[in-house]
Amino acid sequence: METTTTLSRETEIYNDYVKEWKDKGGKVVGYSCVATPVELIEAAGLLPYRIKALGNSDTELADGEMSLFNCSFCRACLQLGLDGTYDFLDGLIETNGCDHLRAMFENWQHRKKLDCFYYLKVPHFYRDDSLAYFEENLGLLKGLLEEKSSVKVTDEALDEAIHGWETVREKWRELSALRELDTPKVTGSEALALEIKGSSMLSGDFVAMLSRFIAERKDAVGTKPAARLMVCGPATDEVEWFEEIERLGAVVVADVLCFGSRAFVTAPPASDGSPLHRLAEAYLSSIFCPRMYKEYERRRDLIRETARRARVDGAIYLYNKFCDLHGVDSVIVRRDLEEAGIPVLVLEKEYSAKADIGRVKTRVQAFMERIGGVA
Amino acid sequence: MDKGFVMREGENGFERAMGILEMIYKLPDSLSEEDVEAAKNFVFPELQQTVIGLLELPADRELELFFFRLLLGVLKEAQNAQAEGKKLVFIPFTFPPEIFYSFDNIFPICTEIVGGLITNICYGQGERFWDYAMGMGLPDSLCSANTIGTMPFFMGPGLKADAIVYNSAGSCNPNAKIHAFASDYLGIPQFLLEKPVDESPRGRELFRQYLKRFIKELEEWSGSEMREERLREVMKKSYQAVELYNEFWELKKARPCPVPNIFSMTLLVLRSQLWGRQEAVDVMQKMVDMSKERLRKGEYTASEELARVYITYIYWLFDFYGYFTWMEKEGITILGDILAIHYFPEMDFSSKESMLEGLADITFDYPMTRQMGGESISMRWLDDIIYAAQDLGADACIFGGVHACKHTLGTAAYFRREMMKRTGLATLMLTGDVFDKRHTPMEMLQEEVKTFVDQVVARKKSQDKKKAKTAGE
Ligand code: SF4
Ligand code: SF4
Repeated sequence: METTTTLSRETEIYNDYVKEWKDKGGKVVGYSCVATPVELIEAAGLLPYRIKALGNSDTELADGEMSLFNCSFCRACLQLGLDGTYDFLDGLIETNGCDHLRAMFENWQHRKKLDCFYYLKVPHFYRDDSLAYFEENLGLLKGLLEEKSSVKVTDEALDEAIHGWETVREKWRELSALRELDTPKVTGSEALALEIKGSSMLSGDFVAMLSRFIAERKDAVGTKPAARLMVCGPATDEVEWFEEIERLGAVVVADVLCFGSRAFVTAPPASDGSPLHRLAEAYLSSIFCPRMYKEYERRRDLIRETARRARVDGAIYLYNKFCDLHGVDSVIVRRDLEEAGIPVLVLEKEYSAKADIGRVKTRVQAFMERIGGVA
Repeated sequence: MDKGFVMREGENGFERAMGILEMIYKLPDSLSEEDVEAAKNFVFPELQQTVIGLLELPADRELELFFFRLLLGVLKEAQNAQAEGKKLVFIPFTFPPEIFYSFDNIFPICTEIVGGLITNICYGQGERFWDYAMGMGLPDSLCSANTIGTMPFFMGPGLKADAIVYNSAGSCNPNAKIHAFASDYLGIPQFLLEKPVDESPRGRELFRQYLKRFIKELEEWSGSEMREERLREVMKKSYQAVELYNEFWELKKARPCPVPNIFSMTLLVLRSQLWGRQEAVDVMQKMVDMSKERLRKGEYTASEELARVYITYIYWLFDFYGYFTWMEKEGITILGDILAIHYFPEMDFSSKESMLEGLADITFDYPMTRQMGGESISMRWLDDIIYAAQDLGADACIFGGVHACKHTLGTAAYFRREMMKRTGLATLMLTGDVFDKRHTPMEMLQEEVKTFVDQVVARKKSQDKKKAKTAGE
C-alpha cells in the first residue's frame, strides 16, 4: 500500500504542530501514562503531550541518574528531558505507573525543577473507595491546571473535551476495523505512527487527521498478509519494530499496546454524575495495564477478544528488558492465549537497540514459520 | 560433597530446610569451640558459612541457638496450622505479621523468610528455585527475595498456602507481581492492601479505610472475626517487643557498638515472622541483655571499631559469615539497613478501633513500603536513612540490595549525591544480590568494602580529627 499524504512518520519531539501552538502563546503539559485524563488538560486550554523518545538511543545523561537495570525507554525519555529537548514543556504530570516511570519523573523533577509538576496518584485497583480517591486527585489536578492556565475548567468545557476524545476513540475503532479486514487496508506500523502523531494534538485535530487517513484508505485495495499478528505489551513508540515485522510479510492487524490501541480503550463516561466523576470512573475502570491488581481476568479477556475479533494467527508479547509488570504478565498471558489456541512469542528487548532488531526479526521469522505464515 | 543434604527430586525446599534445621535441637545448649568446629565440618561448604556465621563468635552463638530454636518452633506451627483448622497465608516482608496473628484461625508465613532459610540452609542455596522461576519464563529482573521464597511452593509437594496477601502494589512492582502471579498459578485467593503514594492526612485516612476493608475481607474468607481481645493480646506483645527495639536502637549508639552485627539479621527475621508473639519478646530481650552486658564490659570483636556503616538498602543474606561476621572481625559495625527503621506510633489499646488505627499507621510506615511507596521515593528514602545514619553515628553508607529494586537503582545517584551534600557521608555503591551469590561473589564485596573503609572512611576520620584539633587550638 502506498504511503498517503496524511501519514509521515514523526521525527521531531518538538514538532511543527507543537511549535505552532507555542508560537500562538499556548502552553504544553507532558504526561506519560494513559491513566492521565487528557480531557482535563485540554479543557484547561492546554495541549496534552504524551512523552515519547522517538527511537532516541542516546541515554548518556540519563544513565548518570538511573541505572542500567532501569527500562531503556524511561531512560531514553529522561535523556530528552535532561538534554533540553523537552524544555518546551510548561508542566509535567507524574503517575505511579511503574517503578521505572516513577524514578524517571523524580530525576526529571530534581534536575529541571518545573514549577508546574503534579503527581497524579492512580490507585492500583478499581473499587468504590479507590474511585472516590482518584476523583479527588483529578479535582486537585484540575485546580492546578486552572491556576497555571488562568482558565476556569467549567463543566461545559470538560464535557466538550470528553466529547472530543470520545470522537477520537470512535475514529480509532474505525481505523482498527480497516486494519482487521481479511485484506487489511491499514498496517500496524501506520496505525502506530498515527497514534504517535496524535498523542501531541488536541482532540479535534487528531480526529481530523484520522478522518483524512480513513477517507484515503477506505477504498484502497488491501493485500492478504502472510500472517495476521497481534502485538501486546507496554509503551513503545518504535514504529521501526512494526515495520520490520511487516516487512516479513505479516501485518500487525491488532495490538494491545500502551502506545497503541490500549490508549483508546477508555470506557465511554456514563451519562450521569459530574463530568469529573464520570471521567474518573471511565479512566480508572479502563486501565488494562499489569500495574492494576486483581484485574488480570479483565486484561486477559480484552486481549483474547481483540485476538478473536482480528482473527490473528499468532501473538507477540513484546516488552522492554527489566519491565517486571509486563515480564510477569507475559507468562500468564502466553499460557491463556495458547490455551485458547493462539500461539504466542514472548520477546524481551532493549529500547531502540539496533542490534536487537536483527535478533528479533529472526525470532519473528521462525515464529511465522511455526504458525504457518511464510516469512 | 553433599554430606547427605542434597534435596531430592520433587522435594519441597521449605520442608527440606526445616528438616535440616531440626539439627539445631540436637546441639547442646552450650557449645564449645570444638563443637562449633565439628558442626561446621559435618555440613557442606555453603552451610558451613551459615554455621560459622551464627556460631563462631560466642555472643552470636548463644543468641542464635536460642533464636533458631524458637523460630523453628513457630515454623513447625505453620506446618501444622492447616491440620489444626487454620488457614495458612503467605505474606511478604513488607507486611506486619501481627495483623495475621490477631486472627484465631490464620497463620502467616513470610515468603522472604522461606527464601532466606533455603538460601542459608539448603544445598545449592536458592539457585535451583531461581532457575525454576526462569524456566517458567519469568523475567530475570525479578526480586530474588520473594521469587526464591515463593518458588518452593510451585515446585513440590508439602506446604501449600491457602491465600496470598501483599501490599507492595505501587511501592515495588517485582514484589507485588510475584505474589499476584503465585495466586494465579497456585489457584489460591489473593488479598491486596494498597498503600496510596500519598503522605497527606488524606492518604493516611484512606489507608486506614483500606486496612479495615482488608481485615473484613480476611474475616469473610476465613469465616472468623478478628476478636478485640485477641488483637489486644497480640498488640501488647508487639509493644513489649517495641520497647525492647527502642532500647536496642539506643544501644547501637555506643562506641564501639556493643551489638553484634548478626543481631541485625535476627531483628529482620523477628520483625517479619515473629512480631506479636512471645518469641519475639524473648529474643529481643536476650539481644538487649547481651548487648548491655557487652557494653558494660567494653567488649568488641575487633581490636578497634574502624567504621560504623549504615546499609542504605538491604543486607546481603546469602552468606552470614562472609557478610556479618567478616565485617565485625574487620572492625566494621553494621548499624542497620532500611528494614531496621521502624516507626511505632503511641498505641491506644482501649478499643479495637484505636488499635486498628495504630496498626494502620505501623503498616503505612513499614520499612520499604514507607520509602518506596512514598510520595517521593528518593526524598523519603534519603530522609529516613539520613535520620538513622546520623542518629546512630554512622561514618559511611553502603548501598546494597537486589537488581530488582528499580526504584532505588533509579534514584540512587541522586541519593548518593544528596547524602554527601547534606551529611558529608560517602556511600559505597554495590551491585549484587541479597540471595543469589552468582551476581557478585562475597569475596568481591569484601574487597570493595575493605578498600572503601581503608581509603574513604579512614581518611575522613583522620581529616575530622585534624579539623577538631585545629578548632580546639
Ligand atoms: S504500561 Fe501501564 S504504567 Fe506504563 S505507561 Fe502504560 S498504562 Fe501506564
Ligand atoms: S523493594 Fe527490592 S528487595 Fe524489596 S521486595 Fe522490592 S525488589 Fe525486593
